[in-house]
Amino acid sequence: MGEFKVHRVRFFNYVPSGIRCVAYNNQSNRLAVSRTDGTVEIYNLSANYFQEKFFPGHESRATEALCWAAGQRLFSAGLNGEIIEYDLQALNVKYAMDAFGGPIWSMTASPSGSQLLVGCEDGSVKLFQITPDKIQFERNFDRQKSRILSLSWHPSGTHIAAGSIDYISVFDVKSGSTIHKMIVDRQYMGVSKRKCIVWGVAFLSDGTVISVDSAGKVQFWDSATGTLVKSHLIANADVQSIAVADQEDSFVVGTAEGTIFHFQLLPVTSNSNEKQWVRTKPFQHHTHDVRTVAHSPTALISGGTDTHLVIRPLMEKVEVKNYDAALRKITFPHRRLISCSKKRQLLLFQFTHHLELWRLGSTVATGKNGDTLPLSKNADHLLHLKTKGPENIICSSISPCGNWIAYSTASRFFLCRLNYEHDNISLKRVSKMPAFLRSALQILFSEDSTKLFVASNQGSLHIVQLLEGSFKHLHAFQPLSGTVEAMCLLAVSPDGSWLAASGTSAGVRVYNVKQLKLHCTVPAYNFPVTALAIAPDTNNLVIAHSDQQVFEYSIPDKQYTEWSRTVQKQGFHHLWLQRDTPITHISFHPKRPMHILLHDAYMFCIIDKSLVSSSLLPPESSLESL
Amino acid sequence: MVQLRPRASRAPASAEAMVDEGQPASEEEAEHGLLLGQPSSGAAAEPLEEDEEGDDEFDDEAPEELTFASAQAEAREEERRVRETVRRDKTLLKEKRKRREELFIEQKKRKLLPDTILEKLTTASQKCNLIFLVNLQKKNEDCEKGSGSKKVKVQKVQSISQNKSYVALRLKDQDLRDSRQQAAQAFIHNSLYGPGTNRTTVNKFLSLANKRLPVKKAAAQFLNNAWGTQKKQNAKKFKRRWMLRRMKTPKK
Repeated sequence: MGEFKVHRVRFFNYVPSGIRCVAYNNQSNRLAVSRTDGTVEIYNLSANYFQEKFFPGHESRATEALCWAAGQRLFSAGLNGEIIEYDLQALNVKYAMDAFGGPIWSMTASPSGSQLLVGCEDGSVKLFQITPDKIQFERNFDRQKSRILSLSWHPSGTHIAAGSIDYISVFDVKSGSTIHKMIVDRQYMGVSKRKCIVWGVAFLSDGTVISVDSAGKVQFWDSATGTLVKSHLIANADVQSIAVADQEDSFVVGTAEGTIFHFQLLPVTSNSNEKQWVRTKPFQHHTHDVRTVAHSPTALISGGTDTHLVIRPLMEKVEVKNYDAALRKITFPHRRLISCSKKRQLLLFQFTHHLELWRLGSTVATGKNGDTLPLSKNADHLLHLKTKGPENIICSSISPCGNWIAYSTASRFFLCRLNYEHDNISLKRVSKMPAFLRSALQILFSEDSTKLFVASNQGSLHIVQLLEGSFKHLHAFQPLSGTVEAMCLLAVSPDGSWLAASGTSAGVRVYNVKQLKLHCTVPAYNFPVTALAIAPDTNNLVIAHSDQQVFEYSIPDKQYTEWSRTVQKQGFHHLWLQRDTPITHISFHPKRPMHILLHDAYMFCIIDKSLVSSSLLPPESSLESL
Repeated sequence: MVQLRPRASRAPASAEAMVDEGQPASEEEAEHGLLLGQPSSGAAAEPLEEDEEGDDEFDDEAPEELTFASAQAEAREEERRVRETVRRDKTLLKEKRKRREELFIEQKKRKLLPDTILEKLTTASQKCNLIFLVNLQKKNEDCEKGSGSKKVKVQKVQSISQNKSYVALRLKDQDLRDSRQQAAQAFIHNSLYGPGTNRTTVNKFLSLANKRLPVKKAAAQFLNNAWGTQKKQNAKKFKRRWMLRRMKTPKK
């Protein structure tokens, strides 16, 4: 008989939502990604492409444009006509300002970063001034006949190119009037009845405007004379996005066929001064429309309807040709969406607007190690819980005993009690949540299911005691003064005395639950934490970081354990460090304290601490791929 | 265009007189004629004209015997009457205009909020604006978050009283906004997936090779689960009923 019964769960029908916009921030090397369900995720490209922050979505927020401005401020605009600024510290929406132009189709920030330009449905281009805490409407430019679908600033900030339906206009920023109106052919050297939609424009510093449109053309225009210089037909379908590098020697376009093309400015012959734009490389990494592309100094980033985020480093720009230069495809979420109730064998699945509760199947057969046992009872779908309101669910959890379910949206917190009678299940919601429990970033139940730990987005941690039909607020750990840091991950020790919480920048903080005070802080590490767990008897805190480092910290002793120090001295094996996806869950063997179980998107691994090797060998027993 | 000259009493009076008697082609023409004519002499000129008009009509008969004095008196009477009617008309018009103005002012007043609230607003704006507005905005946000479960989108309105914060919503604006958003989404859908785009379904795409072979094969997904749903439902119901019937009546 094998040691474990492994349940292969194939009924979690998680469908991620497509990527709509991508914005790259050069200063901090971060990528903001907005999806069709309204979620905005921020990936830290230097921390091994880890998703460190996310803003939950909203049904009415159909984002059409995303941009970074004024350094580190993130703005998005959508079809509900509002410009939204995100608060990157508190992880919520700072404010939403209506632009009064109808649905907003495009948005761009000025090269200086102090102004924001918005293109609306009614054909108006609106200029906003970015003040330290808000944005302020400055003026309207000349109104155009049809909707403004794409915008681009000249690097000097004097002119603007706006792409619309069948034409492109060039504006002068100071006067706000149209200088040129360039008519786009509907089809490459032909006649077509379908209107030509200019999906993207880019303004280069030498006055060239590059446009991509729905007929599959990439066209170069001269903005001084308002004439067409060159036209490339690259696809049979729409070319939907364009992004230019900072040095203006290359740009990338994405098509509706899933291909992205790389254009480069190359000299005509090997020693001539004259340069021209040449289409160099096609990349087919997507199966559906590529709705957005971005160009970082070393990589091409693309995302589209097939929900993958693909980052393709360019070989000529990468200095060291090592694993960093490989293609990165981010497909699976970097957070946990499933919670488990051990006592009743229940699984809680978190979707964007509903939760599902399933009971695992059971078997009465026995077998040897490696056998597949037939199910005597199938997995049961017990509950389908829909949220009220248009907001997405941020986090959810089920208590280990299976009697409590808690979940949170951006404005409300829900706590429900489950009753089991024979085979029936009934749900009763606890009404009247206290005012401080508004929106939680992380929810965790204690092992004995008497306490609930909630990390709110103001940076405070609340401990709530759960009684029969109600609850009582025990304590709130306030954040350190001066920081409003959102706590992203929580872990509680099985005996219920320690609580570990990790934020986005400072080290992991460990609180004493019995005495309700801060116990110690693990030294900060420059990569974000991806998973936390506390071992049962030894109370060792195991931390996994996004660069695949695993640390073990002893909470009672307030220092790293011997094993951890040894491993750090030796370093991990290079195969371990070259994994793409972050470790999302750490767990422990109930009978073997020397084993640590952890997994990422593609592998499940057991680390045996007793095998401290002298040479750099991979950890014992299985880098098995599933 | 009628030009109202300062010595207006003569010219319009004579115009009215002309209208009473002879019905010129249009009022304007008559007035133009009069203006060109420049009536310098007063009442003496008019009765002569009248007499001439009278002469034109009854050509055969001998002219009537009219003393100068009586004619003058008649003319004066006419003039007075005309002047009076004009004055009356003017006053009537003035009154009408006055009444209209008052009506408009009343309507405007009705549109505005009652005086008490207006006073409060003006005093409120005189206070320290920034802090006040910030507080109000915070309150509005809190109120909004509290009512977050409602699907109706809320527009922030400056609240006057500090203890009560409420948010007002104009349904007309909401409908307009929703319809515009829907139109925008329809535009995107049409331009990306509508007619004229070269798009196909996954099934067709994957089965293209199969269907072009000399011996045609089945498509990649050839089961249509949506076919005959009503039939399948009926069959299920019948089966259940049949089973119950069989279980009720024991078979011998």
